[in-house]
Amino acid sequence: MHRASLTSQQPLSIFLSLVVAALILLKLPSSPTAQKTALHLDGTPADPFLAASGKPVVLVFVRTDCPISNRYAPLIQRISSQYGAKVDFWLVYPSRMASAEKIRQHERDYGYKLPALRDPQHALVTQAQVRVTPEAAVFDANHRLLYHGRIDDLYVDFGHARPAATTHELDDAIQAALSGKTPPHNMPGVGCFIADLE
Amino acid sequence: MTLSCRSVVACLLGFSSVAGAVLAQQRDTTTQPSSPVPLQVTFNRDIAPILFHYCSRCHRPGEGGPFPLLTYADAKARARQIAALTSKRFMPPWLPEPQELRFADELRLSNEQIALFQKWVEQGALEGVPADLPPAPQFAPGWQLGRPDEIIEAKKPYTLPASGSDMYWNFIFRTPVDRKRWLKAIEIRPGEKRVVHHANILVDRNQSARRQEAEPGAGFPGMELKIESETFDPDSHFLFWKPGIVPRPEPEGMSLRLDTETDLVLNMHLQPSGKTEKIQPNLGLYFTDKPATLFPLLLQLENDRQLDIPPGEKHFLVTDEFTLPVDVDLLAIYPHAHYLGKDLEALATLPDGSAKTLIHIPQWDLNWQAVYRYADPVPLPKGTTISMRYVYDNSGENLANPNDPPRRVVAGNRSSDEMAHLWLQVLPRASSDGAFDPRMLLQENMARHNLGKNPTDFEAHYNLAAMLQTRGAQAEAIQHFELAVHLRPQDATANNALGASLLAAGRIGEAIPYLYAALRAQRDNFDAHYNLANALVSQDRFVEAIEHYRAAIRLHPDDANAEANLGGALAETGKLSEAKLHFQRALRINPNHKLARENLEQITREPKNLQQ
Repeated sequence: MHRASLTSQQPLSIFLSLVVAALILLKLPSSPTAQKTALHLDGTPADPFLAASGKPVVLVFVRTDCPISNRYAPLIQRISSQYGAKVDFWLVYPSRMASAEKIRQHERDYGYKLPALRDPQHALVTQAQVRVTPEAAVFDANHRLLYHGRIDDLYVDFGHARPAATTHELDDAIQAALSGKTPPHNMPGVGCFIADLE
Repeated sequence: MTLSCRSVVACLLGFSSVAGAVLAQQRDTTTQPSSPVPLQVTFNRDIAPILFHYCSRCHRPGEGGPFPLLTYADAKARARQIAALTSKRFMPPWLPEPQELRFADELRLSNEQIALFQKWVEQGALEGVPADLPPAPQFAPGWQLGRPDEIIEAKKPYTLPASGSDMYWNFIFRTPVDRKRWLKAIEIRPGEKRVVHHANILVDRNQSARRQEAEPGAGFPGMELKIESETFDPDSHFLFWKPGIVPRPEPEGMSLRLDTETDLVLNMHLQPSGKTEKIQPNLGLYFTDKPATLFPLLLQLENDRQLDIPPGEKHFLVTDEFTLPVDVDLLAIYPHAHYLGKDLEALATLPDGSAKTLIHIPQWDLNWQAVYRYADPVPLPKGTTISMRYVYDNSGENLANPNDPPRRVVAGNRSSDEMAHLWLQVLPRASSDGAFDPRMLLQENMARHNLGKNPTDFEAHYNLAAMLQTRGAQAEAIQHFELAVHLRPQDATANNALGASLLAAGRIGEAIPYLYAALRAQRDNFDAHYNLANALVSQDRFVEAIEHYRAAIRLHPDDANAEANLGGALAETGKLSEAKLHFQRALRINPNHKLARENLEQITREPKNLQQ
């Protein structure tokens, strides 16, 4: 009987340990990213989602020396002003080389009035699944990624811009985040490869 | 008397934005020494030599490239970008296909070079060993041709908005010469190079562009300009700037004349960068003591009349061809179309039947339009037919199409209109007997050719008449001036020219109404006042003549002929002391004025007449 009771317990303990192992495996992917972090311009760690409880978050990835993202500056600023406090809008500079001072100067030069983050470890790049500057990522109020990709379809390829954009994915995605409507399909942007910055 | 002969040259300036379909990777047909791609590609050994030769001229601080490409760190931070852009042949920018006739400063990568970039990135963009790194290219700072003799800056800057579509802006430079000078070079410093796609200087010998300025020095917008010239002085030089261009002095003997009244009009194609930019270009002038001894000419093939492109049309063909009446050397070529241009080609068919491709651009991109100079002059004998063959795409598939949805497009000066132009800089071989200026024969034939395409081409009638007048074919000249006036009855220049031409033929009575018509069209037309005064003198209508000489002198106070003739007319009416004054003025302006001197001597010999 004693033996029997031992054998009857064994499968149970194995099952429990499997569950524990599974939980650990599930947590694994998130723990390395948790160590990487974006930074405020003053050098302190930044988490744009922590500050934005219950509000959509928009990240627009730019580079100081990317002509395509620079050409978008007036539009990015206009869209961010248009939604005001309804969404949390951040410029993200994924370059390790861009110092806080260089970023402040870049914001002044291009008339940006929105807050900027540095993302030298590509924590936000990974989370937002962006590939080039300029690309945007829109997270809903629960901070689920709704859309990532181009701002609009002005550029079709390097050096091939339309006279004017005919689609407006970033704008549509923000409206989707605010209204709960279906976001646009993710569309890749044309611009400067972020992977070159690794 | 002044016979004004206006060679009207519509000049093209170009411009940009994105063109056409995505560039397909093209096969390089040039025979390149095919060096095998090494097993391991490194920056120092394989990549740096290509960047230094093809890229660094623009990709360095202060130049048009948006980032430098001078070091390993520069290249590594752009490795995928470089591989992607070179594989699409978007960079370095070079539109023509490889061909037998080579261009100077070709910027075309071989397929092997492109493959090196791909492999370099795949292998992790390695640096390699320092010993392999070639010396970095040396670029002279500042003016590329050395310190200019004279630097002129645009009077007022132009402020380019941060966003919006492409902009075409024209700056007028008043030239700082106090006498006729010869230029061996002009270096263009366009200002903020990152927003300047290209720039073109037009020589405005008649200050005609100034009329378009809202206030002096302000400049004016516009993509295409028309500059009028009142003498036979055809455009002769391409004065062109694009990012990375290597400025060169004009070839020996081809100096460019600058007169005191010459304006240089700088037409710039600007592209907003995302921030407001102030553009204030400078021109560096390099003088020479050697007057021009060789006279090149810009020939224009065109067929704007054929441009009527239905919406959705993907393959709209425009052609023109012109047979050379003299031997020439072709020095440079400049194809020009706007955003619907797709495949642009020019051919020369020689008298022996052989054909040469002069240029072929299979994926036209207005953004990267350029003047292409041949590595060596291309001899084209008399009888050679030059033909242009331009294909336009007005479908929605043409991403550069400025109209969404596409609409019917015809020729015009706006960037949303089209153009079909091919400019050639040719140097005519001197005629064996030296009896005629071969440029005039070229211009005359070109005008006849244009009339063949369009019998109601005002400018062609006018130019043809002017050429005929100059070589003494007066009756035919009058015919074509009449046709020009018939086409534009309100045109002051044409009415004046017809009047002057009739006057030269002794048909005074017929001339006078046209000269009055010229003045009705334009009250401050110096030539018309002067010619009319001369006509009135021929009819002994001295009082009226005096009035028009005075009007002419008010417009051009330094015209010795007008002063001398006014003196003559005054003398005819007995106003000798006043006449004397004007003969003296004429002589102050031109001490060698024969008529003024003789007349002055004559009335001074008869002092009693001065009492009157």
